[in-house]
Amino acid sequence: MRVCRFIVVSLALGAGLLGAGCGSAVTAPPAPPPCEDACKDGVALKALRETMKLAFNLTLQGKPVGEHDETTPCPLGGSARVFGSATSNALQGATEVKLTYVLAECRYLFKDDDAEDNYAMMISGTMTQEGILAVQPSATSALVMKSESMRLLGTVYDPPLEYAADCPIELGQNGNKLTGTICGREAFSDL
Amino acid sequence: MRGAREPGRTVSLSRTEVRQIPGAFGDPFRAVEIMPGVTPIVSGLPFFFVRGAPPGNVGYYLDGVRIPLLFHVGAGPSVVHPGLVQRVDLYPGGYPARFGRFSGGIVSGETAAPLDRPHGEYNLRLFDAGAMVETPFGPKNRGSVLLGGRYSYTAFLLTQIASDTLLDYWDYQGRATYDLTPDDQISVFAFGSYDYLGQRTATQTITLFGTEFHRVDLRYDRKLGDRGTMRVAVTTGFDRSRAQEDRYVRDRVLGARTELSYYAGPRVLLRAGTDLQVDSYDVQVVSGTLAPSVARVASFFPSRTDLAFGTRADAVIAVAKGFEVTPGARVDLFASDGATALGVDPRLAMRTEITPSVRVLSAMGIAHQPPSFVVPVPGFQPGGLRGGLQKAYQTALGIEADLFEAITGTATVFHNAFYDMSDPLGTSPPQLSGCAPGTFPTDTLAGDRTRTSGGFGGGGGGGATCGIPRFPPGTIGPDRSGGGQQGADSRSTQTAANAFEVRTRGEAIGLELFVKKKLTSRLGGFLSYTLSRSTRTYEGRSYIATFDRTHVLNTALAFDLGKNWRAGTRFTFYTGLPKAPDPTDDATRLQPFYRVDLRLEKRWQLSKTAWISGVAEWLNATLTKEAIATTCTLGGCQAQLIGPVTIPSVGVEGGF
Repeated sequence: MRVCRFIVVSLALGAGLLGAGCGSAVTAPPAPPPCEDACKDGVALKALRETMKLAFNLTLQGKPVGEHDETTPCPLGGSARVFGSATSNALQGATEVKLTYVLAECRYLFKDDDAEDNYAMMISGTMTQEGILAVQPSATSALVMKSESMRLLGTVYDPPLEYAADCPIELGQNGNKLTGTICGREAFSDL
Repeated sequence: MRGAREPGRTVSLSRTEVRQIPGAFGDPFRAVEIMPGVTPIVSGLPFFFVRGAPPGNVGYYLDGVRIPLLFHVGAGPSVVHPGLVQRVDLYPGGYPARFGRFSGGIVSGETAAPLDRPHGEYNLRLFDAGAMVETPFGPKNRGSVLLGGRYSYTAFLLTQIASDTLLDYWDYQGRATYDLTPDDQISVFAFGSYDYLGQRTATQTITLFGTEFHRVDLRYDRKLGDRGTMRVAVTTGFDRSRAQEDRYVRDRVLGARTELSYYAGPRVLLRAGTDLQVDSYDVQVVSGTLAPSVARVASFFPSRTDLAFGTRADAVIAVAKGFEVTPGARVDLFASDGATALGVDPRLAMRTEITPSVRVLSAMGIAHQPPSFVVPVPGFQPGGLRGGLQKAYQTALGIEADLFEAITGTATVFHNAFYDMSDPLGTSPPQLSGCAPGTFPTDTLAGDRTRTSGGFGGGGGGGATCGIPRFPPGTIGPDRSGGGQQGADSRSTQTAANAFEVRTRGEAIGLELFVKKKLTSRLGGFLSYTLSRSTRTYEGRSYIATFDRTHVLNTALAFDLGKNWRAGTRFTFYTGLPKAPDPTDDATRLQPFYRVDLRLEKRWQLSKTAWISGVAEWLNATLTKEAIATTCTLGGCQAQLIGPVTIPSVGVEGGF
């Protein structure tokens, strides 16, 4: 179906452009729906995972496989230490990790037009991470992450809503889908 | 040689002949696909390569008015009622100076002049109905009014079999002329087209894709005695393509042109003209985070106003008896989103009569075109002239002979060289779908990627990644969960986006043969054959173009069975597309394609001018499937087939 798919993809690209923020005639976005507790937990989960992702890519990405212990400053203050072991299968695009992240008042924020992608968070605590990090689409990520105690403080959503949690977190990642619990509450998000 | 075929033009078929071509459904524009030099992408799809030039580089004109779309959605008919079209010409290269701004070919339709009596045509088919009527009015029939159109009830039919799909199209034409004096005429010609593909849900109808265009051409024509003609025209238009949530790309068109044709002497015909077009593009969007590839392509389509101004002239000079030469040139100025570019296109055509029945024709020229989209879609014109103009050097040399028993034949060799061409279709190298046995690391387990790749590619892995390291072996790979704070890219969108940005050098060389005995004869037919090779060069690498087909053959026979019964059959054959390297198969191309089309007509002559016909027609009666790619699994690789794309049609046609 490559031929048809290419034409379809090309036309869809064209159609996708119609959703692109590239022109001057931008329609005013509707007011975002209210963000309740589950929504706020979901954004917080995403903030935590993306902060870990940043820490990993700043410290271990591209390093030789094996044991590592690296520390990096966070973009807006604080630090992140990543230690443990990582092996890889470059052909499959997969990295097997058994790591621990120690975040010390690590500050990170993200702004986007999608209300549920906005956060400004300071994170402290220790989190373990085991599983596969994959370079999609040749493979898929599968991770389990746990923390006995993690402190998240800041704002989530747009307009910003105050957020604070200081409790155990359990988190699973399947592909780009995150599910888990924050302080015993179920939470989920898409990366 | 007045009225003789222009050297840069390929064969021409009259409306009455086109009606006899099986699979064309009586549509003159559909007949383009049987002409030599035309390479189909996929059987039934109205997009084609012309002498190696991609679909986006082929311009469509109706009465000198540029139109963005020639056919309705899918395998639909052309956007103009056939009864209005007198002739369709294909100019595959080295075309006259009056055509420009396209570096591929030109498809030009001419409407029939008004008659001095009321006349009309109508048709009723399984999937649409159309009609066209024209009548003179005023003293001495100085004026005429024409109305025509077509409406598809495909939406109703689909509703009966698939309740969630909506497919709809219609078109309209209107023309009024009035002779102010025997030498002066004013006229207005309005036409347009609409296509819609939607999906019905429990609560609403979602627009998947919709296109439309409208044109109004106001003209003043003056005869310059018996020495020539002059036309001044103003065109306004509106193009729009829509997607979900009322998002659209819109183009408001305003143009003006002058055309002069004048015999400066018994041996010299001067043709000159100017044209100006202003396109005001309006991209109506919603905000949001885009996948990186889509964002890259999006930057090519800003809201803006484009301007193109051209002036041209050529002279048909009868140098000596039997030898005619046509030097000419056109100059086009393009302005878009703050960028400007100038295209200077010299043209030269020659026609030499060797004997009264044998002629040699040659045509050469340079053609420039702004960057183009993959296929013609109303409103989708890249802005900013990024990468500069596309340029083509086109040359062709042919021989035309009147053979025995009213049979004519042509043989033409051509060479086209393309520079800085935008050809996303032709530059995407063939790829395997899936990993061929042996190319996936056998000591690893593949991940379960169900529903995780997101995007157009579905779960398709794609052969290009099989066995190729995703990052340096022995190192730790990146964490790319979520694609880096942006919408995730699938490999299909990345490939499409990359191909869209690429500018390549292209080349096409070939031989075209066309032999025809008038299809309206008791036994008529044609044979159209193209032998060609189309290549692309990119980053120092040369390869066969993705849609290169070595052999393309169309042949048809039309028989008069007596008692006003006519039957016709058409055979189409073409070489398969280049094939992706496959360790399980040494073949370099996919399997070839063939199909047989059938047509049967019974005609009743109701009066001297009135007639009615019952027509049964079937495109791809052999129900042949077409190979378009290769799919691999652990069990091996095999051709991916689509179809059969088949269109049976039963209908009634009539006229008076």
